[in-house]
Formats: sequence, C-alpha cells, structure tokens
Amino acid sequence: MGNFLVWVVWLAAAFACLGSGVAVVSVTNPFYSALALIGNLGSLAVLFLLLSAEFVAAAQVLVYAGAVAVMFLFVIAYLGGQADAPWAGGSSWQRWAAVIAASALLLEIVMVIGLKAGGRLSDEADVRESFGSPAEIGRFFLTDQLLAFEITSIVLLVAAIGGVILGAHSRAGGVPREEGAGERTLPERAPSVPATSVGAGVPER
Amino acid sequence: MTEAWWVSVIKAVVIVNVVLLTFAYMTLVERKVMGRMQLRYGPNRTGPFGLLQPIADLVKLLRKESFFPAASRDALYLAAPVISATTALAAFAVIPFGAGWTIFGQDVAGQIIDVPIALILLFALGSLGVYGFIIGGWASESKYALLGSMRTCAQLVSYEVSLALSVLGVVIMGQSLSLTEIVAKQDATIWFVVPQIVGLLTFFIAGTAETNRAPFDLPEAEQELVAGYHTEYGGMRFGLFQMAEYINLITLSALCVTLFFAGWHGPFLPGPIWFVLKLLAILFVFIWMRTTLPRLRYDQLMRFGWKVLLPIATVNAVATAFFVVLID
Repeated sequence: MGNFLVWVVWLAAAFACLGSGVAVVSVTNPFYSALALIGNLGSLAVLFLLLSAEFVAAAQVLVYAGAVAVMFLFVIAYLGGQADAPWAGGSSWQRWAAVIAASALLLEIVMVIGLKAGGRLSDEADVRESFGSPAEIGRFFLTDQLLAFEITSIVLLVAAIGGVILGAHSRAGGVPREEGAGERTLPERAPSVPATSVGAGVPER
Repeated sequence: MTEAWWVSVIKAVVIVNVVLLTFAYMTLVERKVMGRMQLRYGPNRTGPFGLLQPIADLVKLLRKESFFPAASRDALYLAAPVISATTALAAFAVIPFGAGWTIFGQDVAGQIIDVPIALILLFALGSLGVYGFIIGGWASESKYALLGSMRTCAQLVSYEVSLALSVLGVVIMGQSLSLTEIVAKQDATIWFVVPQIVGLLTFFIAGTAETNRAPFDLPEAEQELVAGYHTEYGGMRFGLFQMAEYINLITLSALCVTLFFAGWHGPFLPGPIWFVLKLLAILFVFIWMRTTLPRLRYDQLMRFGWKVLLPIATVNAVATAFFVVLID
C-alpha cells in the first residue's frame, strides 16, 4: 500500500515536472511561463520529498519557488505581462548545443536504466535516521563538500557585484543632468496660503 | 508517541475551525478595542455586546454579488484568494499548543504534525502565500491592484529576510529547527525572550511588515491605492484575502509565543490555556500598534527594512552564535 502510494505520487510529480517544464518554454505569455516555472520547482520539491530529503525539499520551496520565482513574477508583472510572439528558435549554435545537451542527458538516462536492470548499480541507498537532517547537511557543507560550497559562494558574490555595477551604471546614465540645473532659481516657497483660513474662528476647547 | 492517522485528521479539522473562529472574533475584538481606544463604542448592535457581528459580516460577504472585472484573467483571478487562504491555514499545522495527551487510549500529540524542520516549513508556506497576492493583483488587470500587489510583494520579500534572520538566534540557542524541541529547550533553560530580546524586537517589527499590519500597511494605503491588491475583489473572495491576512497574523503571533515565550509552558494552568493566553496578549499588542502608530512612507519602509532591521538581525544572529560557542 505504502509503495503504491509512493508510485502514484512519483508519477504525478514526475509528469507535473515534465509538463510544467515544457510549458515554461512553450507558453506565449511570460507571466504564465513564470507560473509554470514555479510549478516545476514545486514538483521537484515533491520528488525531493520522495527521496526522504525533507530539508532540501523545504529549502527548494523556500528559496527557489518562494523567493527567486517571486522576483521573476515581480519583474514580469511590472513590464505588463503581455503575450509575446512564440519563440522561433535561437541562433544555429544554440540549437546544436541544445541537441547535444539533450542527447547527453538521454544517454545518461539510458545508461542508468541499463545498469539498474543489470543489477550493476551500487547498493541500495543507506537512509538512516539522521539522513537529510539539517545537522547532517551542515556537517557535509563544512567537511566533504567544502570546496563546492565555497565555489558557490564565490559565484553568488560575483553575481551580487554584477548587480551592484549594473544598478550603478543605469543610475548614472539613466537621467542626464541638465546644464546648470543646480543654478536654476526656485521660488522661495509655495504660493502662500492665508495663514488664518483653516480653523479660524473655532474656539479653543 | 505515535498517533493513529484518523486522530490527526480529526485534530486538523478541529484546529482549522478553531483558527477560523479566532479569525472571526479577532475582527470583532479589533474593532471593539480600536473603538474604545478612539473613544467610540465599536460594533454593539448585532447580538449582545455585538457578539454576532462576525457572523453578520460573513453572511453579508457570502450574499454579495460575485462580480469580477471583464478584463480579468478568470482562472488566476479565482485561484489567487484560494492560494492565500490555503497556505495561511496550512502553516498553523506545525505550531505546538500542548504536551500531548492520551484520550480514550489514543495518543494525541500537542500539534497537528511534528516535523523536524517545522520552522523552515512555516517560512516556505509563508513565501508561497505571496503568490496569492501577486497573482491576484496581476490577474485583476487594474492599475491600483497591480501597484498594490507590487508593493505587497516588494515589502514581503524585503522583510522576509529580516524575519528569517531574527529567528536564527533562537535556532542557534535551541539547536534545532523543530518547534517542539525549541519549546522543550526553553522550559529546561530560560524563556528565549530574555537572551533574545533584540531578536524578539526585530521579529516583531519584521512580522508586522510581513502581515501588512499598521504601521506597515502600505499595500492597502487607501489614500494612494484604494485598497491594494484586492481592489477588484468583492464578496467572499475579498473575505478570503482578509481571512488569509488575519490567519497569517495569528500564525505569526503563535510562532512568536513558541519561539520566545516558551510556547504552552506555564505554571498551574494546562498547556493550551497558557498558549491561548499568550497568543491573545500578542494579538492585543498588534491591535494596539494599529491604533497608535501612523503609517510610514514607502521609501521609509524600504530604507528601514534594508538599512536598519537587516543589519540588526544579522548582528544579533552572529553575536548569538559567538556567545553560544563561548559558553560551550
């Protein structure tokens, strides 16, 4: 019974993942595209749950579906979110790169299925009590996976610096200052309002 | 302790209804308290002391015509309030409200579900709730609703960072992400409000902004935006948005009780009673703030969030980590 339920959930999540992935690149309205991306990230989180990686699933929802994708929606909604012309395909090298990447993935999947069928895949996963717990993941980050962790942080740092530079650039070049804008004489104060007009004649309590 | 699955289901149904009832009467209490603070009576005509007012409001909302703008995107427009309300209700499932009991030979735990990463789950659900607001505002195809939802979105995303960082000190001291363990740790040592008073203040301020309460209720600044992201909503759809906001507030207050005031622990009285008493006290402070403080300007809100609250929360987390290591 439990196994059957796992299969049902896996099937649903896997198909949701594929379907939303296709929708991301095929829907014409970018707002719906971003929504499909959120669905994709959410169904990935369900797949993580099935792998008994609860922490990763929650982090996936919190960081990607919750924070990163909100930014996408935010920008798209600001720009209007109007329907776009369907994507007609990129330049030829992009197409070739896509074909190569897709066939590499396909080859990998075929190999894994073949190994599994031949019984030559490594042993069953060793899922203990502490598997996927925050403490265990933290320990991995600071021991076995330290290099990957630090490289990721450098990538994020580069992205942050890039964001600052882009922002500073657009601010400097966005609004051209007029010649002598600072010298323009402003009226000393707004046209004066008669000071007695409001509340005049109302007796003090 | 393991409980049967049907016990969990019954408990979930009961808790959802209790939370909904709390929401309904929270609106009444808020209007009453605000009225008294502004030298008015507040609602007092429907039933004795106005006690039936929430029910009258509900009937009114249900019987209103369910109009929607002709230009709106139907599916998303209808889904938005549902998303908000569902995520808000689901978040309450991990809040512990008692020690757990044995009733008629059945084990009953003190929360609907006890997960080891309860705190992260709460924040994840909260971040999904934002989608209700942004989708609702966009699908209405109205300038006011769109601007309101943009404001909501920017505000929630900004203050979520401070909110998460402000509870980091508690997590470091409790050495767990499980709310039951954090509560147990506080009972064994000290209520975290004492060592984490800075954390509590940042949590409270960021939480006020996170639930769109005054003085941070800019998304609904009626002078500027009519009503924010739910401008084009009426009837019970509007009611669902309102419900989501209030339930988020209740959950946040419950989280505050759990993280800083030892949850359901307290002398003499049983656990759930203590929990409710503490919860009501925090909710009262929220109402009190609403009547006392004027609304901030939008740029002040953003500057405060990023340049004041976030550094304070970060320093608090780092200092807590430092002292915890020092004491160990």
